Amino acid sequence: MSRIRYSGRHVMSFCLAAISVGVVITALKWPFKTALFPVIIGASVFFLSLAELLMSLFEKEGAAKQSAMDFKLSEDVDKAVAVRRTGLTFGWIFAFFILILFFGFNIAVPLFVLLYLKIQGRERWPISIILTVGSWFFFWGLFVWLLDTPMPDGWIVAILKAIGSQS
Amino acid sequence: MLDAFIDGLLINLQLKPFLYMLIGCTIGFWVGILPGIGGGTTLALMLPFIYKMTPQEAFPFLLGMHSVVATTGDITSVLFGIPGEATTVATIVDGYPMAKKGEAGRALGAVLMSSLIGALFGATFLAFTIPIVRPLVLAFGSPEMFMLIILGLTCIATLSGHGKRGLLLGLMSGGFGFMVSLVGQDRQAGILRFTFGQLYLWNGLSIIPVMVGLFAIPEIVDLAVRGTAIAGNVELGKLGKGVREGIRDTFRHFWLTVRCSLIGSLIGILPGLGGGVAQWVSYAHAAQSAKTEEERAGFGKGDIRGVLGPGAANNSKEGAGLIPTVAFGIPAGSGMAILMGAFFLLGLVPGPDMLTKHLTLTYSMVWTIAISNVLIVAVCLLFINHLASLTAIRGSLMIPIILLLCFIGAYTSNNNVGDLIVLLIFGGIGYLMVRYRWPRPPFILGFILGTTRYGAAWLIRPKVIIIFLIAAAFALYPFIQKRFKKEDIGEPDKI
Repeated sequence: MSRIRYSGRHVMSFCLAAISVGVVITALKWPFKTALFPVIIGASVFFLSLAELLMSLFEKEGAAKQSAMDFKLSEDVDKAVAVRRTGLTFGWIFAFFILILFFGFNIAVPLFVLLYLKIQGRERWPISIILTVGSWFFFWGLFVWLLDTPMPDGWIVAILKAIGSQS
Repeated sequence: MLDAFIDGLLINLQLKPFLYMLIGCTIGFWVGILPGIGGGTTLALMLPFIYKMTPQEAFPFLLGMHSVVATTGDITSVLFGIPGEATTVATIVDGYPMAKKGEAGRALGAVLMSSLIGALFGATFLAFTIPIVRPLVLAFGSPEMFMLIILGLTCIATLSGHGKRGLLLGLMSGGFGFMVSLVGQDRQAGILRFTFGQLYLWNGLSIIPVMVGLFAIPEIVDLAVRGTAIAGNVELGKLGKGVREGIRDTFRHFWLTVRCSLIGSLIGILPGLGGGVAQWVSYAHAAQSAKTEEERAGFGKGDIRGVLGPGAANNSKEGAGLIPTVAFGIPAGSGMAILMGAFFLLGLVPGPDMLTKHLTLTYSMVWTIAISNVLIVAVCLLFINHLASLTAIRGSLMIPIILLLCFIGAYTSNNNVGDLIVLLIFGGIGYLMVRYRWPRPPFILGFILGTTRYGAAWLIRPKVIIIFLIAAAFALYPFIQKRFKKEDIGEPDKI
């Protein structure tokens, strides 16, 4: 019998099994017509993920490398470097979201592009400024000016505007 | 009929309609390339501009724009791994790995040529099949549509990985997508499902932020991890060199391209399915064309057939989608529903009149689809080296721009900050799925499938049973194929 080795793959299968149980339990409180598909799908996914969990727990070493017909992450980068860079990139993605939330798209877009290019990309000032201005003009010209897309102000900008209107 | 066919061409070749078509093509070119601006949305935005146009000018303008969107959407999918359009996601699966290997030129050549063949096939399909498909379209009710989506899901689930484990993961992924689609208000009973008290979730999750998160974020993270350009360290001059090879690939796999065009057309004429399903069914068909296990293992890593299939299908469905719209007044998708609005704005009523009184105009639409695609593909091929060289730009310069497109693309689907949260969540899920080799395509198909639900009485309808049998055949095909192969060569452990 193979030795049991735990990995993120098992956690994913376990989480999906747990979610599907949650779906079924919640759906059982609903009328039949509403509950029909959630219960069928939830139960099917539960058994599938349980099967996957058991299979992956007792599979032979290296079998987890079976490939899906999908995009694959690069494997030629040192593991520690890859983990650090992955965390950093997710951090930047989240930071962009926070900037949008606080300042709105109008300010967040140039701010994020400039900060990313200077801090993460360590690009020279001229190219950073050109790309920042270019991306802002592209964003503002197409989405705000031409398509008239409503862009939220952002919490800080909204607070400042409220203070400004009171004074 | 032949007179109307020729007159239709002559309409398009007049100065004003031709100029309007060129303007439409130019807009469509950029709309396709930019993620987040969909063809349907742009059609809606363009409607106010047609008030003063004649139908002979308005349709070349609108259709010229709408019919090239999928063609140029493939370019973004291949070069950056971001779907330019919702209908060009499947092109990423093999197109982007090719760009990463420095074969962007070859992938672009193939996808553009297959798109052209697909578009021409769709236009021809539109021209010749209106009388034939009428009973088919009218006979298909909601249950048959549902089973067709099941068929699409079965194809992808079967081909999402290799062997039984691949099927298991594919079905899990599809089921997960289906569960996610359950979020929102139930249409039948009005009960709120998994909305957690959030008004944003009442309408369910939008496909755009889900799709962009799932497909684009993992690719961006990988680009940052590699610390190189998309095409790695391949020399700049070599990027566009495979264009001719890509074009040749299209003709080398000509029948596959034609078959996938046919799949796109057949699915395109059925209202409610559209390119979302057509691209995956054709991708699945392309993958099934692999003769050996080794060949099939190449799919997802940059097999040219994985680019040709979806490229052809998502363009052929455009012409076919016009059939129910023009002939029966049943829009095949959201874009066609908006186009129907244009009919009414111009004082036309879709239906039998379009096949009798306005037959020349109907044929001018066929010509618009054909000519605009020929023009756009020619322009793209002219500038393909410049397009391919985008993959040689440093990742640090590309990442903030690609992220900007992702965030804007997700936000513009509902103009709600909630879309950005969905983007982040599905970005994380997409990354984990890629990391642990869970296939993402079935998730998207499950998500699409989940938007249509019915009772149980339809299960005994004959057409439903036939499609179910085809779906079952698709699901079992890999195992049957494997068994036959084993019998041919003998069990490996017995050799």
